[in-house]
Amino acid sequence: MKKKILSLLLVATMAVTALAGCGNTSEPTNSSASNGGGAEPITLKWAIWDESTTQYWGDIKAAYEASHQNVKIEMVDLGSTDYMTVLATELSGTGSDFDVVTVKDVPGYATLVQKNSILPLNDYISKDGVDLSQYAGATDQVTVDGKLYELPFRNDFWVVFYNKDVFDAAGVAYPTNDMTWSQYDALARKLTNTTFGEQVYGCHYHTWRSTVQLCSVLDGKHTILDGNYDFMKSTYEMVLNQERDGVCRSYSDLKTEGLHYSAAFSAGDTAMLNMGSWFIATLISNIKSGEYDASLCGNWGIVKYPHADGVEPGSTLGTITGLAVTAASDTPDASWDFVKWVSGPEGAKVMASSGNFPAIMTAEVKNTIASMDGFPKDANSKEALNVSNLYLEVPYGKNVSEINSILDTYHGAIMSGEMSIDDGIKAINSEVGKLVK
Amino acid sequence: MGESVSTSEKRKILSRQTKRNLVAYSFIAPNFIGFCVFTLIPMAFAFALGFMKWDGSNPVQFEGLGNFTRIFQDTFFKAALRNTIIYCLGTVPLTMIASLALAILLNQKIIGRGIFRTLAFFPYIASLVAITSVWKMLFHPTKGPINNILFNVFGVEQKNLPQWFSGGLVLLSMILFSVWKYMGYYMVIYLAGLQGISAELYEAAALDGADAWGKFRYVTWPQLRATTFFVVVMLTINCFKIYDVAVMLAGGGSGELTPSSTVLVYYIYQKAFVDWDLGYSSAVSMVLFVLVLIVTVVQFTIEAKQDR
Repeated sequence: MKKKILSLLLVATMAVTALAGCGNTSEPTNSSASNGGGAEPITLKWAIWDESTTQYWGDIKAAYEASHQNVKIEMVDLGSTDYMTVLATELSGTGSDFDVVTVKDVPGYATLVQKNSILPLNDYISKDGVDLSQYAGATDQVTVDGKLYELPFRNDFWVVFYNKDVFDAAGVAYPTNDMTWSQYDALARKLTNTTFGEQVYGCHYHTWRSTVQLCSVLDGKHTILDGNYDFMKSTYEMVLNQERDGVCRSYSDLKTEGLHYSAAFSAGDTAMLNMGSWFIATLISNIKSGEYDASLCGNWGIVKYPHADGVEPGSTLGTITGLAVTAASDTPDASWDFVKWVSGPEGAKVMASSGNFPAIMTAEVKNTIASMDGFPKDANSKEALNVSNLYLEVPYGKNVSEINSILDTYHGAIMSGEMSIDDGIKAINSEVGKLVK
Repeated sequence: MGESVSTSEKRKILSRQTKRNLVAYSFIAPNFIGFCVFTLIPMAFAFALGFMKWDGSNPVQFEGLGNFTRIFQDTFFKAALRNTIIYCLGTVPLTMIASLALAILLNQKIIGRGIFRTLAFFPYIASLVAITSVWKMLFHPTKGPINNILFNVFGVEQKNLPQWFSGGLVLLSMILFSVWKYMGYYMVIYLAGLQGISAELYEAAALDGADAWGKFRYVTWPQLRATTFFVVVMLTINCFKIYDVAVMLAGGGSGELTPSSTVLVYYIYQKAFVDWDLGYSSAVSMVLFVLVLIVTVVQFTIEAKQDR
């Protein structure tokens, strides 16, 4: 009899615990509208990625906590590889306890907006009088039906990194800030050495589609939301021809190895690398720490992104990283204060101090970065920080997330030779056409 | 008086029976509750979602058959379906043959049998991530030893060297990989089956003048039919569920699959958690469910017919 009662109890307990798991477990937290002066302690949970390899997360947390005694920032690292997917999953349903989330890219931003997982900030912006013009138009490109759901705190743009030692060894003059795409192609070919054992690659394209497809949007006439992608043909031709001639590593090899662009550049056999300005801080700190061999890649420089014929030099791609307040936050006011601070002038100072580009780019910020220990000393590298036209890699648009998946998929198909350039572009046109229709 | 005794006895018997049942249920309960919460309810939910539009946050909207009509115009779905079927058609027979051959070989009394059995089983227990890395090194398009041998020994021109992880060959790589990885597991099942065959049957066959092939044809194969059935059903179901092998072998650093390597489960994941189209992705999983169901029912019918 005892046994029976025991087993029944066991069943009952299991059923109750199983049901309890489905319930809403978020506890009511004391919400306070303090702007830093209040006494009630608040903890803000903040979603980030790669805490151990990225210095500025910790810097921001420390600086904010120092000036806001009652606020504690709790960082949760979701990893960088599929950050936006993990984040969207975390914010689904009602059980999330994140207050502030970092928004890594625009397709992911669009997903969060559509899911109503993040709050529109317009009321806060007008109440606190935040001047959006300081973001130089970046916020316009992510405004959804008149509403803005994130404030950028980081604004990266693409440049060409080059290894001066490789240029010196080949006796070729360094690249300049006013290269056209055909000059860039010729230069890459001049530096290439295909002799076995002494290979030098004139340039390098990471496996992201942005490294290839987006070179085509720099003429200012096209965007990736166009619906017709014939304009990408010339860039694909250039890159695939380079690959055929051994000027760059092959896409299939990179995909198989999972070789990271930083490993390709720091190995010292890559002359030029098109990459975002975030790589500047990585290069500086990893050369200093000895993780990258300074004798192989220590002598580097940057120049502006190559430009299309008839377009002003300095046109480049940009990508913004923003902060948003979650709809589930119990302390939206305090969360907003954190977002405002990080994306404002104080946060910008913290970002620039570690060689990162804040969304508010002032001459002072550029000087801070250019005068950092480890930043190239030549005038061209400093000049390369001046951008004339910045096109977001992905501006906000309807179906941006789906279009992004399609572009990714066929980029892989074209680059690995599964499809010809023409067939691939035709497939993109027809798949995106189905969405836009 | 007598009547009332019998009813009270009856009541007592009934309640004892009920108590017994309750005890039995309580033993089933832990498993069954787990099954309900983590499998049955989600499955029913997914079935319902197949007719809805939902992004995981906003209110669910009824979509009717819209998701299903969309499926058949979807290029990526068609590619995923084609690849999954090709993969199954390649993997199921090859794994079955390979594991049966291995089991027969390792059922002989040879020296070091235990070691060879362990070696054959090893790929099954080894971590998928680790062994796919090794495969990627071996089959690396330009630096891998396989292509090196093709280049140096067989004189294949450099531009004709096979690209094992993209285009038309990626499915072949996936099939070869899973045959190699999973044959050890099915070998163990076959070994158990082989050991269940009575030695007398072989003696009788030998007396009737059967050679090695005859013994296999008339004793081993018919005796193993139940085992083979089990192996084929499990293999088929597992093959339709392929995801990890495809992502690890063909996905590269980002884990994204192109139309030549995408498979149904990957597509379901992508639609659900990247595009947040949970209704559509549930509809695709229903198609997968029906597909597996049909194949399994057909297998059971054939088995039942042979049994008669």
